[in-house]
Amino acid sequence: MQTIYNSKVKETLYTEKLKNGLTVMCIPKKGVQKKYIIWGTHYGSIDNKFIVPGETEPIEVPKGVAHFLEHKMFEQENGKNSLDVLTSIGVSANAYTTNDHTAYLYECTDNFYEALDEFMDYVQHPYFTDENVEKEKGIIGQEISMYDDYPDWKVYLNCLEAMYNTHPVKLDITGTIETISHINKEILYKCYNTFYNPSNMCLVVCGDFKPEEILDEIEKRLINKEQNGEIKRIFEEEQEDIVKEKVEQTMNVSKPILTIGIKCKAPTPKERVKTQLAIEIILNMIFGESSNLYKELYHEGNIFEVPSLSYEFAENYAHILITTNANNPEEVYEKFKAKVQEINENGLNKEDFERIKKMIYGEYIKQYNDVTDIARMFLSDFMKGINSFDYLEEIEAVDLNLVNQVFKDNFQPQKMVLSVVK
Amino acid sequence: MEYKKQEIKKGITVHNLNTDKFKTNLIAIFLTTPLSREYVTFDAVVSAILRRGSKTMQTQEEISKTLEEMYGASFDSGLNKTGDNHILKFYLESINDEFLPQNANNMFKMSIEKLTDIVFNPYLEDGKFKEEYVEQEKENIRQKINSKVDNKAQYARTRCIEEMYKDMPAGLYRFGYVEDLDKINSQNLYDYYKKLLSECKIDIFVSGKINKEDCVKIIEEDENISKLEPRDAKYVVNDIEVKEEVEERTIEEKMDVVQGKVVIGCDILFNEEDLKDKNLKYQAMMYNNLLRRKCKFKTISKCQRKSKFSIYRKFKLCSL
Repeated sequence: MQTIYNSKVKETLYTEKLKNGLTVMCIPKKGVQKKYIIWGTHYGSIDNKFIVPGETEPIEVPKGVAHFLEHKMFEQENGKNSLDVLTSIGVSANAYTTNDHTAYLYECTDNFYEALDEFMDYVQHPYFTDENVEKEKGIIGQEISMYDDYPDWKVYLNCLEAMYNTHPVKLDITGTIETISHINKEILYKCYNTFYNPSNMCLVVCGDFKPEEILDEIEKRLINKEQNGEIKRIFEEEQEDIVKEKVEQTMNVSKPILTIGIKCKAPTPKERVKTQLAIEIILNMIFGESSNLYKELYHEGNIFEVPSLSYEFAENYAHILITTNANNPEEVYEKFKAKVQEINENGLNKEDFERIKKMIYGEYIKQYNDVTDIARMFLSDFMKGINSFDYLEEIEAVDLNLVNQVFKDNFQPQKMVLSVVK
Repeated sequence: MEYKKQEIKKGITVHNLNTDKFKTNLIAIFLTTPLSREYVTFDAVVSAILRRGSKTMQTQEEISKTLEEMYGASFDSGLNKTGDNHILKFYLESINDEFLPQNANNMFKMSIEKLTDIVFNPYLEDGKFKEEYVEQEKENIRQKINSKVDNKAQYARTRCIEEMYKDMPAGLYRFGYVEDLDKINSQNLYDYYKKLLSECKIDIFVSGKINKEDCVKIIEEDENISKLEPRDAKYVVNDIEVKEEVEERTIEEKMDVVQGKVVIGCDILFNEEDLKDKNLKYQAMMYNNLLRRKCKFKTISKCQRKSKFSIYRKFKLCSL
């Protein structure tokens, strides 16, 4: 296996690309009780239109298939549900779907290999019937309704809709009750066979493992499958402009929630790590705990918590999100825009920059405290073509000039939107 | 991992978990005091006001800047009910020196200093808390109390507990009550804080790559800790008690939601025989897991979460 040692966090990554195309990563943590395994496919809610390897015509599937598939994977031909089987072995199993990947996982302290039998078996053996697909529609319908009551989720989705014209990132990961009504077992098998090919997947383990040993155990449990070729994903050209600047929804909340979104240009593969680091630094300088903007709004009694600050990106989209509760969302938005304008004229403050950079460095070190965080981080970064260690390596080279440039490129007033739920 | 504890002064205990599994050291200070209707709201405001500034870091901004400079040491505070006690919790987590770019000055010692400064050495004006801060924090807590309806599932759980333990300390809302906020001012809040500090049980937890001896030494030498007096700590030892069976009750509140939220609270009835069984707590936890594990979605899982909750409550009552 290839080994990569990081001297800053003093951890080693062992990685191997198997003959069938599957990437296996192991980050050993000696003496840690918990073992964590996560198996992901580069297939998320945005992958609705694609060309199956070996075919020429693109196909389009209903919104919500990736998430639907995730639900259905647990059901086995022998009538058992793998989630129940894993629970009965004494491990804690789960799965999730994001915009760009779907992942299956479990964690445990004992019975790791017994659980591995079941785990690798169910991910490699889908079992869809007309009947069990129909049944699932009711269950997922319930989940969709549940999200309808979450103001936090609504403010997020509305913000994406205000930013994106056509890109499927704006759609709910679950799809809607209408779109999932069109899903059938043929569609599920088609998507499974396309995206659940080992060459489109990555398996990460973290815990007290011997890398070569766990690699053997994984290989033993893999069924024979040929690598398929490249999956061509098709996205309609997304125009640079936003759809509309402001969107508002009324729900039963005591205090309005707002999300400020900024539509950005997707970073090139080489720029990704540095851009992410620079944007995290900028966001904390503008709106973090020690920022003047936060202090001012807090003292006015407008907001009473540090906003959540994030930068999300994949191959062909990128945006910044700032979310908080506020008595007067419009005022928060206007003051934020004024701050951006001020920085545009004067640049970012050097002293603040140095301090926040130290903080961000610490944040990345903290990620290595827990096997769950480590494994999930390596998987989701892998899906973006990034080795997680790169953040710790590249942060040194992130200087004030670069950060000012990233600011100019990404914090553009005409790309900002305000989503409010009140 | 090795756990050791030492009472450094009467009523003040240092707990040390010596482990090299983490990149960070975590320090937690817990102040434990009996829950009461009279002071529950005071506790909430005290917990919030201490975050606003200390003698050496006079504003929240200074606290934040100090923490950022310490490679993003994170400070957090919390307020929890455990049985009939209210616990004010303060945490500071910082990177172990080993993982810092250049060997920065003893980060652990600095973290102890900063955390004890926040908890035991607050910023005062004219011998009391700063009025402006008190009024702002009262307002924030007012909003927090009012916003308990926002998360409907959480609200249903809170209401269930209130009804199950009506007129009992365990039924109190941890952030207190809006009508009591008006009675709080910077003077009586500071008086309460001093009383709390002199009477509460103090526990200091340290987890990280540091042994008990070094840990105790640094804490004992800390300026703010050395000023604390020994105390006969006042707190409630929660015993399991025999309970009478009560009649089932249904409380219904109407709101504009897509999906209704149902919470079933089940208090566990113990008889004299049960009380002899030391494993009772674990049996309750097992049963709770059996109920909540079985299935993922649909109505049943909600009921299961509930049972988790009420048993958890019971578990909490047993836990001190």
